[in-house]
Amino acid sequence: MNLALLLPAALAALAAVLLPLLIHFARRSERRPTDFAALRWLQAQARPKRNVRFDEWLLLTLRLLLVAALALLLARPVLFGAPDTTPWVVAAPGVAAETLRTAGVPDDAERRWLAPGFPEASEAPPSGRLPVGSLLRELDATLPAHAALTVLVPEVIDGVDAERPVLSRTVDWRIVPAASETVDAGKTPAAAIPTLVVRHAPDRAPALRYLRAASEAWRSDAGKGADGTTPPTPAAIDIADAARPLPADARLLAWLAPGPLPAVVRDWIEAGGTALLDARTEFPGIEAGTPRWRDADGDVLVRGIALGRGQALQWTRALTPAEMPELLEADFPQRLRTLLTSASPAPARAAAEAHAPLAGAEPWPETPRELAPRLVLLIAALFAIERWFAGSARRRAPG
Amino acid sequence: MANVLPDFIPPDVRARLKDIALTARFAVGGHGFGLHSSRSRGAGLEFAQYRAYEPGDELRQVDWKLYARSDRYFVREAERDSPLTVWILVDATASMTQADAARPDWSRLDAAKALAACAIELALRQGDRFGLAVLGGDGLRVHAAGAGPRQRDRCLLALQATAARGNWPAESALQLLWERVAAGSLVLWLGDGFDDAGVRLAERFAATRREVVGVRILTVGERDFPFRGGYRFRDPESGEEVLGDGDAIRAGFLERFGAARVALTARLAASGIRQVEYVLDEAPDLPLRRLFATRGAGAHPETA
Repeated sequence: MNLALLLPAALAALAAVLLPLLIHFARRSERRPTDFAALRWLQAQARPKRNVRFDEWLLLTLRLLLVAALALLLARPVLFGAPDTTPWVVAAPGVAAETLRTAGVPDDAERRWLAPGFPEASEAPPSGRLPVGSLLRELDATLPAHAALTVLVPEVIDGVDAERPVLSRTVDWRIVPAASETVDAGKTPAAAIPTLVVRHAPDRAPALRYLRAASEAWRSDAGKGADGTTPPTPAAIDIADAARPLPADARLLAWLAPGPLPAVVRDWIEAGGTALLDARTEFPGIEAGTPRWRDADGDVLVRGIALGRGQALQWTRALTPAEMPELLEADFPQRLRTLLTSASPAPARAAAEAHAPLAGAEPWPETPRELAPRLVLLIAALFAIERWFAGSARRRAPG
Repeated sequence: MANVLPDFIPPDVRARLKDIALTARFAVGGHGFGLHSSRSRGAGLEFAQYRAYEPGDELRQVDWKLYARSDRYFVREAERDSPLTVWILVDATASMTQADAARPDWSRLDAAKALAACAIELALRQGDRFGLAVLGGDGLRVHAAGAGPRQRDRCLLALQATAARGNWPAESALQLLWERVAAGSLVLWLGDGFDDAGVRLAERFAATRREVVGVRILTVGERDFPFRGGYRFRDPESGEEVLGDGDAIRAGFLERFGAARVALTARLAASGIRQVEYVLDEAPDLPLRRLFATRGAGAHPETA
């Protein structure tokens, strides 16, 4: 067991011990006037005594300790070699809180949720999709090497990544029934159909048919869901003149107008929108944009740059079949959608049985134990005692 | 009555006063009946002498047993006890204002007033005459000797009005004191003994057939020197100042001042003056008890 400091430079704060020393020394050197009639038997010192003397040793010691403890706190002391081998029980999202509380493990085990920050079992169960595999690796790296780890998982885990976790310890991987409220999480939620907003100049009207067709194609794709039913779909395209303002919930914009881009649209892009600009729209900087779509010959069809939280894309050619034969191809709607919306999420669901972590990773270096909480308690106690002593010292010496 | 009579004596001290009797070794009483031995002969308990019968003597004073042996008439005479005059001299120079830091409201002068009040109370109880003389920066103030409760009240009121300031009065100002303090009276001197003129006055009183007893009032600071740290010591009478660190100068002061205390006691004893020291943290009846505890207690002048 040895002590280490994460920020040894903070020990320079130890220079502050001079403060209490100065306080007590200054009080020492003052001369209190006193009536004394037997003065003739009193001999003045030949020279003032200069050896260092201090008043109220106990109070001074307390104050020195207080300052030293504060400096030590700033230096962030940690303790190596005293690993906390308390067993841990963590429950992945989807496990009922009751199951976590009653899991058959030693009484002194830490019961936590497998969620960022590893909240206590008494807190609300985590919701949403969490990176379970990543959290497991983090926990494995944080826990001391000899601490036993029990993981409670539902039959189907959501939020795994592509690799089975390889941990430094053998994990007690317990598959428990999922909590009832998460049973419906058995399906991937269907990706919402993007609504394409089109703002065009009058002479660009011939190009609208291709965009409208692509939007129709997206809708019919969604209609071919796994269960064959056609879900209700919102109006997937909003075509209007370029002067018309954008709807509040617009995410995708096709801007078919030559000339400079209005500042309103530019602000909208910076706020997180994705705009697909006409080949003759003037937009500074987009000439250097990265290619986003190449045709069969390798020529760039669409280039784009990031702007604020959104992105600006631009056709390099006019939207006519003569200029761009790809408009007529069967996969144009799909390619356009891929271009405009982010890729579909990677598969993140796995059967728990098949996803049990493997052992055999190199053990992680020991995580030192932070001493700050205890030190803060010590400082508070020291401060209270110091205040008490200082108050009583003042009471003893009137005036 | 506009003035409430001051009470300088704490109740517990007043209760203990009944054991103490003001006595004198040499001083003799005047005429009248009292508790103190006098040169007047007469009826009494203490045998003095036989003398030959003279016509006019009472027959019951004739010692008939001696007549049976000697066939002559002798009259048995006893010493007659008579009252004493007690003079209380209070030093009221500026040095008497000194008090200890631990008890700032109990100065040397307060202790002197309490001691004076105790002595007055004792004298009143014994039927003795007593007078008060205050010597200080205001000169000499004498309250003529008298007896009785009204004299006591006068003295107590005078004590209450006494404040300590200034230096010891000049020799010429003490003329009245010599006139009032008659030979043969008991002089109780209450002071701090730092004024050499005061000591000389006591010696001259003692040399001129006044019996002088003294109580030297010292502060705890002078006995123990409990000062720690830097101090600026100031003499209240001369205004001189000495800077010093308490710890550094303690040993030297205690040694020199202890020697001076012994020397003063010895000097006064050489003049026949009994002197005891009273330190401010003691009970006020203690010095009187040391001086007068038993009749004729000259054997232990100083047992501090």
